[in-house]
Amino acid sequence: MERIAGTGGRSGSTGGEKEEIGAESFLFGEEIQRLMTGPPENGSSFTALLGLPANQAMELLHSQESDTAPTELSGEAWRDNHMNPHKLYYCSPTFPANTTLIDRAARFSVFAAGENSPETSSVPSNSSLKVKNEPTDTDSNPNSLPPLISNPTVENKNQRSTKRKEREKKAKGSTKKCKNASNETSEEAEKLPYVHVRARRGEATDSHSLAERARREKINARMKLLQELVPGCNKISGTALVLDEIISHVQSLQRQVEFLSMRLAAVNPRIDFNLDSLLAPESGSLVDSNFPSMVMPLMWPDVQANDNRQPYQQLWNDDTLHQPVWGREEDPHNFIAPEHSLLSYDSSANSGSLQSNQLKMEL
Amino acid sequence: MRPPTSLKKEFLKKWIMGLQLCSSSKKEMSFLERKKAIKLSADVAMASARNATTRWSRALISNASKDDSNKELVECILGPESESLKRASMSLVLCNKRNRSKKILRKSCSIRRARKSSSQMVMASSIAKRLVKKRTQVLKSLIPGGGSMSEFSLIEETLDYILSLRAQVDVMRHLANATELLNRK
Repeated sequence: MERIAGTGGRSGSTGGEKEEIGAESFLFGEEIQRLMTGPPENGSSFTALLGLPANQAMELLHSQESDTAPTELSGEAWRDNHMNPHKLYYCSPTFPANTTLIDRAARFSVFAAGENSPETSSVPSNSSLKVKNEPTDTDSNPNSLPPLISNPTVENKNQRSTKRKEREKKAKGSTKKCKNASNETSEEAEKLPYVHVRARRGEATDSHSLAERARREKINARMKLLQELVPGCNKISGTALVLDEIISHVQSLQRQVEFLSMRLAAVNPRIDFNLDSLLAPESGSLVDSNFPSMVMPLMWPDVQANDNRQPYQQLWNDDTLHQPVWGREEDPHNFIAPEHSLLSYDSSANSGSLQSNQLKMEL
Repeated sequence: MRPPTSLKKEFLKKWIMGLQLCSSSKKEMSFLERKKAIKLSADVAMASARNATTRWSRALISNASKDDSNKELVECILGPESESLKRASMSLVLCNKRNRSKKILRKSCSIRRARKSSSQMVMASSIAKRLVKKRTQVLKSLIPGGGSMSEFSLIEETLDYILSLRAQVDVMRHLANATELLNRK
């Protein structure tokens, strides 16, 4: 039962986030639609959450930090980038995952101002990926590395194009903590195909490794979501162990489905659960109004005869005592009540209940 | 994100429909048959609730419709969109075959590349990679239609699949509890 509440709460929170994001999405709707295949309309839960608005989540988070950033992110900004040859272009519609990762890192990150001079290699690997290195940026910062980001770097970034995303690495070489100025992350918050990427210190800068890096970060972002979804995964570090947990969770869910179908098969000799419109007249007293609206459009077999209603109603009155037991969860409450009210219809037949009892004993 | 309640309601609707169809067609079913029918209609209902937007749902539907005995059930549950959905799932199967042959070719080429791992660091990373790879393969076997997915899409499908499974389990559990309680009366 707690799990239901947990998922309900979680889904509620993510739903709220989605609405918040959705409001912002109208601002950049055009560019985004151009770039992204639209998010699945059926709302396939997390995929919808992840696919489109991750970048906007980024933007939302950082729009508070820098007021100028959203205005800079207006449409012409990225058009400018096409014309500016000095920037690194990294074009990937899947980059939102990257930005979410950067965003999270930015919250906890310690900035370092070390930069190296990337080699100049421009290799357009495919239509979606163009990488041009930028030799000029490194002049701005000397190679000495203060542990925290210095304002000069921030100012330098602001002077240059807004589309650049910087990744700086400490000399010690902690790779996974991306260090970004918050301004920079806000700059690339808008979902655009071209995002500037600077090669990290000590890493290859050819297009293959950059693409690989982006892909890896995409995958890591999704893995984080999975970790949040599966209970007990948050404290585990390491992909293999997390995957272990996920696998066991999926297996347990599948086993539960099997088990429950066995239970249902045992409980009912004829597997017809009649949620018929007989429920509708009863529903006014007990069930919320939205459930009859769900039941009514369904085309159920013919309504049972009237003389059966008498024992049925008695059963119904008894069952109301049980409703508070299930009333803990709000979601299933609506369709549990009609379920058991109508199921009683079937099981009121004596022979049926006897058989089901025998089956249970056999089990 | 679709609220879980609407997903559950849709699932319940379709599932009950399927069950009734099952019960109307056959008069006497053994326990195992019943269990299979229940599980099958539950799975197909779950998959159709996704309206074939995800790969696992399409794979599930195509697997279910391969079996001739289940075909009418699947069609009934899917409803009016069954034809287009079937076409989508069939095309997915064909795509999978193509991808599979490509992958086999690629693997045979890559095996020839020698393993140059000598230093300890490289060994550790390769061990880690092997572990992860094993687990991704296990996960692929768990998720319907997972055999031909890239790593990234596998994770996305897992997310969706876990959510759907949870909804399915919730609905089924409540139904089972309800019937059992009623039967005790």
